[in-house]
Amino acid sequence: MESKTMQPTPVQMERENLRRVRFTRPALWVQLVLLACLIAGPLVVPSFRAMDVMTKVMIFAVVAASYDLILGYTGILSLAHVTFFGIGAYSMALVVFHSGQAAWYHIPVAMALAVGISGVLAVALAFFSLRVKAIFFTMMSLALAEFVFILGDQWHDLTMGEDGVSFSLPGIFSVNWSDGTFLGATLNGRLMTYYFILAASVLLFIGLVRFVRSPVGRVLKSVRDNEQRSTALGYKTFHYKVLSNVFGSVVASLAGVLFAMWLGYVNPTSVLGIPVMLNILLMVIIGGMGTLYGSIMGAAFIQVAEAWLPDLQKLTAWLLPHVEVAQRLAERWILYFGILFILVVIFFPKGLVGTARDVIARRKLRLAQRDHQPGL
Amino acid sequence: MASQAPVVQTKDLTIRFGGNVAVNAVNLTVESFTLKAIIGPNGAGKTTLFNLLSGQYKPTSGSIMFKGREVTDLGAADRTRLGVGRSFQLTNIFPSLSVLENVRLALQSKARVGMVFWRNYRSYSELEDRAYELLRQVLMEKRWAVEAKTLTHGEQRKLEIAILLALDPELLLLDEPTAGMSLEEVPAILELIQQIKAARNRTIMLVEHKFDMIMTVSDSIAVLKEGRLICDDSPEAVACNSEVLEAYLGGGVKNG
Ligand SMILES: Nc1ncnc2c1ncn2[C@@H]1O[C@H](COP(=O)(O)OP(=O)(O)OP(=O)(O)O)[C@@H](O)[C@H]1O
Ligand SMILES: [Mg+2]
Repeated sequence: MESKTMQPTPVQMERENLRRVRFTRPALWVQLVLLACLIAGPLVVPSFRAMDVMTKVMIFAVVAASYDLILGYTGILSLAHVTFFGIGAYSMALVVFHSGQAAWYHIPVAMALAVGISGVLAVALAFFSLRVKAIFFTMMSLALAEFVFILGDQWHDLTMGEDGVSFSLPGIFSVNWSDGTFLGATLNGRLMTYYFILAASVLLFIGLVRFVRSPVGRVLKSVRDNEQRSTALGYKTFHYKVLSNVFGSVVASLAGVLFAMWLGYVNPTSVLGIPVMLNILLMVIIGGMGTLYGSIMGAAFIQVAEAWLPDLQKLTAWLLPHVEVAQRLAERWILYFGILFILVVIFFPKGLVGTARDVIARRKLRLAQRDHQPGL
Repeated sequence: MASQAPVVQTKDLTIRFGGNVAVNAVNLTVESFTLKAIIGPNGAGKTTLFNLLSGQYKPTSGSIMFKGREVTDLGAADRTRLGVGRSFQLTNIFPSLSVLENVRLALQSKARVGMVFWRNYRSYSELEDRAYELLRQVLMEKRWAVEAKTLTHGEQRKLEIAILLALDPELLLLDEPTAGMSLEEVPAILELIQQIKAARNRTIMLVEHKFDMIMTVSDSIAVLKEGRLICDDSPEAVACNSEVLEAYLGGGVKNG
């Protein structure tokens, strides 16, 4: 480097600068603090309810982020995302259930099944309907979602129908397993499952982040900007869309495996239903489409609201025991979702993270402009 | 061998839109490393001809050979890979990506990075450096970091040419590269075209309305009128061809 007499270009200087601040940038610290909270959380606050919400936030952050890859980064409106999630969840549940006794290898087998089935389905769906108009893809995905839901609901021999499937996890993940205490917290199957899910979710999320920052991610971005131009550059844009669609679907199915592991129970409504699909959509929109990190915010928002809005209902009943209207309103907590949703769309059209990024970018621009006009 | 064959050879190339024959039985040959200008009045079919050559449109009939190879049935992406690069009459860039990224994406395609989804795109530093180099070539390096939509019209045309050069095409199809430019910006583009031509490693096809510019840069001129190729000759011969003068300049000559 020093031997070069040539001035580094601004591009090289910026790259060098980015490399230097790699380990000191604020975003990294936010991520590490978040990770530390998730690791320490169950040890510090030994509340099952809190751990339950945190786990669901982690899992749905991955599901929403993988949906953001398809909706926000690729510009495809799929209604079958919940289907891939459910396929993962059912893979886990059915592998254990139909083998009678849980064994450790059931987890990798379930994951392989989830990846295999959702991968093949996603490729088929994409090849069959992505070439045609976008609305056709949406309709086909809805048909697929309905079809798989009916399978789950009606194919009693395989899925136990609407009763759902209960199963137990093997070894240290089993609810019966317990082995002393660590830092004051009881080491039990729940806690082990929690950490397994934490590690897996972080890995999946990193996978998604890497995907959008890869050469493929850049091509997808260019397709959103001007698809015809991408084609003229020699990119087969169709293949890129198929790839991201399949990748997002496979990640969702792996998150489904984690979800089944956490609940130890699956049924069609909880992992294949359209309401779950709408929740995922809501998470992405609240967090901000095309931001990936917004999915964490969106998932946290919805999960926390779902966990604690029923309390609000009880609170209302307790505070206003004779006001019928207030109680009726509190029962309709779904309605609050609707109102919150509308507020978010009006005030943060780019979602929480998207809006924050805009504000930061504007401030940077203002600072840069001030630096450029020292004389004024 | 391959270099002996003309870069472009069309045979009875025809495309109709409904009843309108936009390009009509055109037989056109372009030799390696020359600059062929395509002129003709508005609506003559020049842009449509480019669309056929670059694979944007499929011909109704006739065939297209590129370097002795039949490419009539290949799509636009495949022809780009073979070495056909085109700029668009209407500016065609990625508006919300940075200027550098516009060029880098072209280089990424040319370098056949492929469907890599696990590596960071910034780790391909050689692509970034080369993109900056190309921006320097078209005198745009100062603007590398801004969003492409904030460029002036002339700057966007220059960016387009940088994108085009990034693809390192053997055949350059330039559709009115100076259209909509302010007068001060035109000489830089002209200079750039002459530079490319002087390197003698690319063939250029150029659609332009600026007659004096065409006369100075082209090796040969093809004239289209209502979809037909009415003349294809040296600049001097074309300039004296009465049919051309009538078709292209209309009554302008008599009045001038
Ligand atoms: N996609 C299309 N559908 C229908 N008609 C078309 C299409 N593209 C071009 N045409 C018609 O083909 C004819 C030739 O158009 P073209 O754009 O090739 O002309 P041009 O020579 O490039 O003109 P200009 O100098 O104005 O750019 C026009 O009559 C135009 O209306
Ligand atoms: Mg034209």
